Amino acid sequence: MKTMHIFIGFVVIALVQIFVPSQMIREQEDVLKSGNSYRFKTMPIDPTDPFRGKYITLNYEMNSFTIADTSFVYGDKVRVYIEKDDMGFAKAVRLSKKSLEINKDYVVTRVTGNYKGVVSFELPFDRFYMEETKAKDAERAYTKVNRDSLKENVYAKVYVKEGRSVLQDVIIDGISIQDYVEK
Amino acid sequence: MSSKFNKELKTLVKDKVISPELADKIEQYYTTKDIGKPNKLFMIFGIFGALMVGSGIILMLAHNWDDFSRVTKTVLAFLPLLIGQFFVGFSILKNKSATWKEASGTFLFFAVGACIALISQIYNIPGDLGSYLLTWIVLCLPLVYLLRSNAVALLTVILSTYYAVEVGLWNYRSAQTPWLYVVFFLAIIPHYLLLLKKKISSNTVTIFNWMLPISITIALGAFVGSKGNLGFVMYITLFGLLYNVGRLSVLKELRTLRNGYLIIGSLGTVWSLIIFTFRWFWDDEYPKMFTYDIQELYIALVLFFVTVTVFGYTFWKKGIKGINLFQGAFIIFWMVYFFLSSVEILPVVLMNMLVFALGISAIKIGADKFNFGILNYGLLIISVLIICRFFDTGMSFVLRGILFVLVGIGFFMTNYIMLKKQQKIKKQLKDLQL
Repeated sequence: MKTMHIFIGFVVIALVQIFVPSQMIREQEDVLKSGNSYRFKTMPIDPTDPFRGKYITLNYEMNSFTIADTSFVYGDKVRVYIEKDDMGFAKAVRLSKKSLEINKDYVVTRVTGNYKGVVSFELPFDRFYMEETKAKDAERAYTKVNRDSLKENVYAKVYVKEGRSVLQDVIIDGISIQDYVEK
Repeated sequence: MSSKFNKELKTLVKDKVISPELADKIEQYYTTKDIGKPNKLFMIFGIFGALMVGSGIILMLAHNWDDFSRVTKTVLAFLPLLIGQFFVGFSILKNKSATWKEASGTFLFFAVGACIALISQIYNIPGDLGSYLLTWIVLCLPLVYLLRSNAVALLTVILSTYYAVEVGLWNYRSAQTPWLYVVFFLAIIPHYLLLLKKKISSNTVTIFNWMLPISITIALGAFVGSKGNLGFVMYITLFGLLYNVGRLSVLKELRTLRNGYLIIGSLGTVWSLIIFTFRWFWDDEYPKMFTYDIQELYIALVLFFVTVTVFGYTFWKKGIKGINLFQGAFIIFWMVYFFLSSVEILPVVLMNMLVFALGISAIKIGADKFNFGILNYGLLIISVLIICRFFDTGMSFVLRGILFVLVGIGFFMTNYIMLKKQQKIKKQLKDLQL
């Protein structure tokens, strides 16, 4: 009898153990399937700490918003409302702590500073996992692209839906960084 | 039964201490007694095997195979998880031995970690290491109680400590107080208490007796705020708590080496108090005194309250005679730090006296117990104190030299006297037997 109780308890835990990762997958898939795709210009990877383990760190050009409002302080959770420009690149249009009644996508992030009317933040999708053997080459590719000043050609492809965002790929020169590295 | 024991039996028979028949009887008794008990070696190998395979899977998945499609990766993520769950379910349902439960639990523990890690990789989920560890711990904590697994409990303690340090210290961009560590720690305690009750002198308990105080000592660092003014106060109180816990009657019977609380508490107390015997420390600390981080103050107060409760309990049970200075050192420190710190040189003098008294009391404990280790520990405390005073006092070399010689002679004398005393007692015992 007692064994049965423990077993039932375990089955519940086992289901939770399966459910939590599945839910993670479901949420991400949902954003990928029905979210809007944006291009975020990414600055060359943080040169001091480009590769922690098997992912690369991305620094985005969009990291601040000019707004004279001192109520934004370090650590605040904010919504960055975005829209696409002609090239399909994301552009920040509004910054707000509360939900706004406008028909635009937004990314949720935290304020990292507020100085002279410029509120800075860091976009959440800052790591891109790569196969470990390709990590070093990816770093070189970035340096090269940076040297050739092809900055415009480096961007992250991100799907956004209801504040959730999924980084799908990093594009260099029109192709995925994974393929670019192999080239 | 171990061959060493058999050998010992043979010697006893040879030396005519016991008869061969009795030796046979003893041997038989132990062979039958061991039947049905899980083989310890099996258990250890089982756990280690699961540990290696489990972490191996995590490492392999961390390679981040680009060539696999998202579906393949997802299947790979869930495969170890399902295998682990199958084995755990099987060992619960069939009421398998502890070996089975420990090994399968350990494997499942890592399988859960691998699964969420891989999904984070597939979708580039931004969450930092802290939130990943958090999910992992929460998903595995119930296994401790479902399987009564010590291995999973230990892994949880280690992972929780890692979580506390990661969130509170290493995550410099957004350091937060890892309150959940407290929850995880408290969640393990019932399992530990049960273990204490059942088999206090087992090696498993010894491992816990060390791991728990080590974990809490490391994790407390994550609760010290950015100003850190009260960090030392918090630590001295914690060491006081650990020492007092180590002196509780449940643990007091253990050999000192099996009692991590006592050793960590004692060493920690002495170490931190010695820092406060330096004058510059008070001079530097004092101006900042009354700008406490309010959270730190609360944590320190809670710690103080808990420690005083444990201390008071021992006091109430055993009276003043059952208590030594190490147990109460933190209270003296609190009084000096909060009430006397503004009085010129007084706190420094008091701290020096306190450490000196601790040394003397360790020597006394050692002498009473005929324990050379504790005796020399006390002498060591006093020597370190004297060496430290050389750094911030303008004593002449001659005086320093004389002090050193005196301490050295002290080492010789006390050890010699005790050795003599011990020999005398041994001789008396022998005479009595004859």
